[in-house]
Amino acid sequence: MADNEPKILSFLCNWCSYGAADLAGVSRMEYPSNIRVIRIPCTGRMSPKFILAGLRQGADAVWVSG
Amino acid sequence: MKNLLEHMGIEPERLHFSWISSAESTKFVDVATKVTEAVKSLENKEKKFVKTKPKVA
Amino acid sequence: MITFKLNGQTVQGEEGQYIIDVAEQYGVEIPTLCNHKALEPAGMCRICAVEVFDGRRTRFVTSCNYPIWEGMEVKTDTKLVSEGRKLILELLLARCPETPAIRELADKYGVTETRFTKGADTCIICGLCTRVCEKMGARAISLTGRGIDTKVDTAYSLNTEACFACGACAFMCPTGHITLDRIKEHFTTHRAEPIKSEYDVGLQGRKPIYVPYAQAVPNTPVIDRDVCMHFKAGGCRICSEICPVNAIDHSMEDETVELEVGSVILSPGFEPFDPSGLDFYNYDHPNVITSMEMERMLSASGPTGGHLIRLSDHQEPKKIAWLQCVGSRDMNRCDNAYCSSVCCMYAVKEAVIAKEHAGDALDCSIFYMDMRTPGKDFEKFYDNAKNKSGVNFVRSRVHTITPVQGSDELELRYAAENGDIKTDKFDIVVLSIGLQIPPELIAMSRDLGIDLSPGNFCQTTTFDPVATSRQGIFACGAFQGPKDIPQSVIDSSAAASAAAEILADSRNTRTKEKEAVPERNVLGERPRIGIFICRCGTNIAGVVDVPKVVEYAESLPFVEYVDENMFSCSQDTQENMANIIADKELNRIVVAACTPKTHEPLFQETLTDAGLNKYLFEMTNIRNQDSWVHKNNPGLATEKAKDLVRMAVAKVAQMQPLEETELSINQTAMVVGGGIAGMSAAKSLADQGFETHLVERDDHLGGQAVNLHHTAKGEPVAENLAQLISRVTSHDRIKLHLNTGIQNVDGFVGNFKTILTENGKEQEIEHGAAVLATGAQPHTPDEYSYEKDKRIITSLELDEKFRQKDPSLEKINGAAFIQCVGSREPGRMYCSRVCCTHSIENAIELKHKNPDMNVYILYRDIRTYGEKEYLYKQARQEGVIFIRYTLEDKPKVEVKDKSIAITVTDHILNRPVELNVDLLTLATAIVPFADEKLANFFKVPMNEDGFFIERHAKLGPAEFATDGVYLCGMAHYPKPIDESIAQAKAAVSRAVTLLSRTSIFSSGTIAEVDPVFCASCGVCVSICPYNAPSFAEEGRNAGKAQINPALCKGCGLCTASCRSGAIHLKGFDTDQIMSQIFEMNEAV
Repeated sequence: MADNEPKILSFLCNWCSYGAADLAGVSRMEYPSNIRVIRIPCTGRMSPKFILAGLRQGADAVWVSG
Repeated sequence: MKNLLEHMGIEPERLHFSWISSAESTKFVDVATKVTEAVKSLENKEKKFVKTKPKVA
Repeated sequence: MITFKLNGQTVQGEEGQYIIDVAEQYGVEIPTLCNHKALEPAGMCRICAVEVFDGRRTRFVTSCNYPIWEGMEVKTDTKLVSEGRKLILELLLARCPETPAIRELADKYGVTETRFTKGADTCIICGLCTRVCEKMGARAISLTGRGIDTKVDTAYSLNTEACFACGACAFMCPTGHITLDRIKEHFTTHRAEPIKSEYDVGLQGRKPIYVPYAQAVPNTPVIDRDVCMHFKAGGCRICSEICPVNAIDHSMEDETVELEVGSVILSPGFEPFDPSGLDFYNYDHPNVITSMEMERMLSASGPTGGHLIRLSDHQEPKKIAWLQCVGSRDMNRCDNAYCSSVCCMYAVKEAVIAKEHAGDALDCSIFYMDMRTPGKDFEKFYDNAKNKSGVNFVRSRVHTITPVQGSDELELRYAAENGDIKTDKFDIVVLSIGLQIPPELIAMSRDLGIDLSPGNFCQTTTFDPVATSRQGIFACGAFQGPKDIPQSVIDSSAAASAAAEILADSRNTRTKEKEAVPERNVLGERPRIGIFICRCGTNIAGVVDVPKVVEYAESLPFVEYVDENMFSCSQDTQENMANIIADKELNRIVVAACTPKTHEPLFQETLTDAGLNKYLFEMTNIRNQDSWVHKNNPGLATEKAKDLVRMAVAKVAQMQPLEETELSINQTAMVVGGGIAGMSAAKSLADQGFETHLVERDDHLGGQAVNLHHTAKGEPVAENLAQLISRVTSHDRIKLHLNTGIQNVDGFVGNFKTILTENGKEQEIEHGAAVLATGAQPHTPDEYSYEKDKRIITSLELDEKFRQKDPSLEKINGAAFIQCVGSREPGRMYCSRVCCTHSIENAIELKHKNPDMNVYILYRDIRTYGEKEYLYKQARQEGVIFIRYTLEDKPKVEVKDKSIAITVTDHILNRPVELNVDLLTLATAIVPFADEKLANFFKVPMNEDGFFIERHAKLGPAEFATDGVYLCGMAHYPKPIDESIAQAKAAVSRAVTLLSRTSIFSSGTIAEVDPVFCASCGVCVSICPYNAPSFAEEGRNAGKAQINPALCKGCGLCTASCRSGAIHLKGFDTDQIMSQIFEMNEAV
């Protein structure tokens, strides 16, 4: 991967944003390929630790979406 | 959370929150694009994770 | 397999392939204008010419139709090829100097100007159009003329019926020479129009092969026979040639299938009213749209992506008007006298959403006769729309929509409330169209022998609201009457329950048990990960380089096996997968394919069949969230796929086999409340074979129905009620508990223990489910001089007089009703739903007793929704006088000796009018009991008005979020008898899905407390929306938190909020998510 392509770690709620992401695919929309998705059961599962760990592991950004 | 990051010297633009319903694929694409753009614009700055002066003490 | 050299590289292709196909596979670009996958190549445009060396000499050939052969050498990057291309482009540019597609291609290959004399054509005679026309079987166009006169034309240059206007030629044309207009003008005698998408109400086109909408079930494409060229002209079949799994069979015919069933449920729905017959609305004007079109336009997945535009010029509108009652409440201009029930609410919703989308500057006005928002929480929504969102509400029926000359605007001319005629201009006018039953359903009903109502809806009775006139046939949804989603969902569950009541004996007689495979114990084993990567035909493999991902995945730690599948979800692949798991002794599985939301259960079943715990599995989404959305970036998509696979591998290695706790279900039910709803629920449960305890606080059954005279359909309440009571009391599966209170409730779904105090004696009953039907009560008015004079009574007191056949009623000269007493005002911002109909019914009855009596109804909005509208019409015809008042200017009541004087401001005269009557009936609000104790016992929520809150207004209207507890009747919201009974049956239907099983399995992905780390802080107990955590009361871990697996939904809220890290969410535990995070970037 080219150095200038940032990686964005995303935590998507299984019921909301993950569904939206699926639908975006079904609708053949396009968006940048920088996102790496981790499916979580609910944004309630989100812990600040995950955000910190993600950034620490070299993610260029973290996106949490419910 | 954003304040904490800023305190640690990480730009708050590196953390995004959003709420999207499972029917809002357009919104998902919009937000995904915006988040990526926001991060890319940060990348153009010299080196990441460096903030000269934290606003919160 | 044929091996040859392409630009020096050794490549392979199949026998019969052409050079250009193999080049494409290897990523070598060769330009072409006349080649298309669906058609045989013709070598017409010459631009694909390449050099072929056959061992002796070099030749210049068109790569699109030159078959490959063993040992040939092809070059596409030589100077000769490049110059040849440029020359051809110059020639094309000379022919079509203004065609963008040619210009673009010329630019790409460095040709800026042509040396030849320029023509002015747009056609390059590539023959794609004529070849596809022949393929379609139409053969309407061909290349006519010779030499420089060659052109695409029909026979004799005449428009021909051989051209079906399918548009294939225009679709194929690389230069834009053939357009829809050209087809219309020169080719066809048929109508040439794009196929309109039914789902998008014509706002968008669709293809002859299409998925009706994104959520369609089943989600497979269908062929529209009416427009498919194969069925019209016999040709084409490109779809079946291209389909990699040979799923398309054009020879399929309709089959007649005979089924033997015990009951039939009709839910054929309705059709939206078509306003095109009403010329005064000018519906053919682009800016006059129906509410259905508005609905699609506001939808984020709609044709405009949720962006609001004026269709005439695609500008953002500044002013929008909604006209209510189009095709409803109208006998003059259409035949629908009934109210369609849903339009007021959807218009308010659309106006609010439109303002949310477009901002406050957008001016939204709704023109209405009566604002009918009698549903749960609807009145608050209406109030907010008016007072917070700033939607204008104009009480007026607009007659005509006039397009403004020389502008895209529309003019409305209407009478304001005081009678003044006003005009106003709007950018969009939305027709709030009603619901109606289409002719084919009327015919079907006739064939089935079921009766229809005057509005052609299915005829049902109040006390059997889902049964048609023919035994064993039930109806639900808008076919039974115009209704909204919550009511339709209630009816559908009720119909299911009604059908199950008569079929109770055959329950489970045809079920087949699946053979269980014993689960292999993998504890302590080193992870042996198997990865299956799906190509999904070309859906994934067309973008992501699957072999590369496979190769990469093989290098990951603990990975024993990697394979790619054409379609991982196909049956044979599944069987194969199960065999591989067994053969290779795999103990962790990753599937990289589509979305786990649809396919995870399928693969988990395969794991179970292979004897592996189904939680030793992780699915990663390289289709919906990768190949489909990054199709123009195959390189990055492949990288992303690798990352996703690596993250999934890291997580799956951490997965442990999870147990699904088995919970036994006590097959007894308890119903709380002995009113109509409670009794109907108890009877339905008992009829379906379940022991039922019916608990009633009073010493008699009947609830509020005891006080009612007759129903809106004119059926006497007392007789029907007595019949129901006698059935309930004599039912051998119903145990009646009168004079009974609830002392305590313990337990959870399937295993409740309730302590009752019956006539002062305590007893404990065990039950698996509970239905709450605690009802509501009449509000006692504190206004309009109630209780100061015996001539001022409530609606229920008037019913009592009717039932007693009170002779004084016949001697009255004047009677008045005041509506909304205690309803729809601050503090009680809801509509009590039944009072308008109730008062009108009683007004008619008074008129029948004495036609000379003056009967007045003082109202704010008359809300006789659905076919109750006929009563309103009848009342007006019989001379009942309706006078409207406003909340700010309520009627004033003065008790005089000889009469009761009511002063009300007449809204047309705009001055006070005094009415003198002998009887004043106050249509009082219905207020809930708001029994907090009961709510706490069952851990169910109440709204601020004191009504119980259902699981979901639309999707779960007769159940609580708490499993095993169900809801019906007026404890949910005020409603008439038929709706109460329907909801009771619906609650039972939901309860029976639980009670018909002897045990249930909880999910494996639930939270668990490690008591060693638990600090007993109580955060989890207070934060859980499902009341799953509690403090253990006894045993070694007393005082520590514990989580009930039956109640836990696995959301992880407690896990994230646990301060001491004592709670683990199985399947999504911290170390599992962390491992994904750690693997996001490749280890350096």
